[in-house]
Amino acid sequence: MDTPHYVAARVQQAIAEDGRTNELGIRVDVRGDHLFLRGQVAGEDQVHLLTDVAREAAPGLTVHNEVTCVEVREPGEEEHL
Amino acid sequence: MSIRVAAVADIHLSEAQRGTYRERLDGIEERADVLLVGGDLTRHGTLGEGKIVADEFRGLPVPVVFVLGNHDYHSDVEQEIMAVLREAGCVVLDDSAETLLDGRLGIAGGKGFGGGFAGKSASEFGEPETKAFVRHTREIAERWRTALKSLDTEYKVVLSHYSPVKETLAGEPPEIYPFLGSYLLAEAVDAEGADLIVHGHAHHGTEKGMTPGGIRVRNVALPVLQRAYATYCLDAEEC
Repeated sequence: MDTPHYVAARVQQAIAEDGRTNELGIRVDVRGDHLFLRGQVAGEDQVHLLTDVAREAAPGLTVHNEVTCVEVREPGEEEHL
Repeated sequence: MSIRVAAVADIHLSEAQRGTYRERLDGIEERADVLLVGGDLTRHGTLGEGKIVADEFRGLPVPVVFVLGNHDYHSDVEQEIMAVLREAGCVVLDDSAETLLDGRLGIAGGKGFGGGFAGKSASEFGEPETKAFVRHTREIAERWRTALKSLDTEYKVVLSHYSPVKETLAGEPPEIYPFLGSYLLAEAVDAEGADLIVHGHAHHGTEKGMTPGGIRVRNVALPVLQRAYATYCLDAEEC
């Protein structure tokens, strides 16, 4: 079995380089047979694609996708400089 | 007279956002005189995504100024993306400067690049790959000096994707700072002077920082702002 450290690195690289995702800011942690994804992305469709790419890069691990979409509120107060 | 600058970065539009982004900008003319968008306009840097960005920002009631980000370079069609944005009536800075609002506001900048921050940065030394990496940033900084020198406006703002300071990276892992920005960018702007530097790229960073020379820096990456855009009023006495 691969060392969890390298599995996490491989998944993180796959998420950055795979054309379906190209996400650079996703944190990947492996604990036993479980793989955890954390971070934020721009759209809901992107969240599910992360699961697909992670599963392919680390077959046999259970993927827990805790990634959320960026919440965008109204512009709000201006700052005076 | 004051100028209100709206700014956002890292909007990462793709097919899923087609036709949906524009509503975030409704009423912007009541809040700001100009909108700056600091790169990573797309997810994968395809021309199709570039056209979606152009459509979402076309015909806004305030001038729109873009720079590209690293994502927008990924498919090697960055020049074509710049062209469709310009065809949509927007300004695209590529280590260049533009004067807006009847000559009152000058905006200079471009993508920027990495290398790290003073005392913990890469040098043009050793392998050709390392030299090329650092040289790219140094040459960008030199072009920014020239661009800023060309401006003779009441206010000057610099628009970048990469960060000129590490203060606005707080929240990112320090190990990746050299890939998030370079002090060479801040050094160039401090030498020529500006009222504000706006950047993105660091999704986990912090909104507010300052150059060693005292120029305000704002990280307007969408995940940092968590609002449609930030608005900065230049000349606080009149705001």
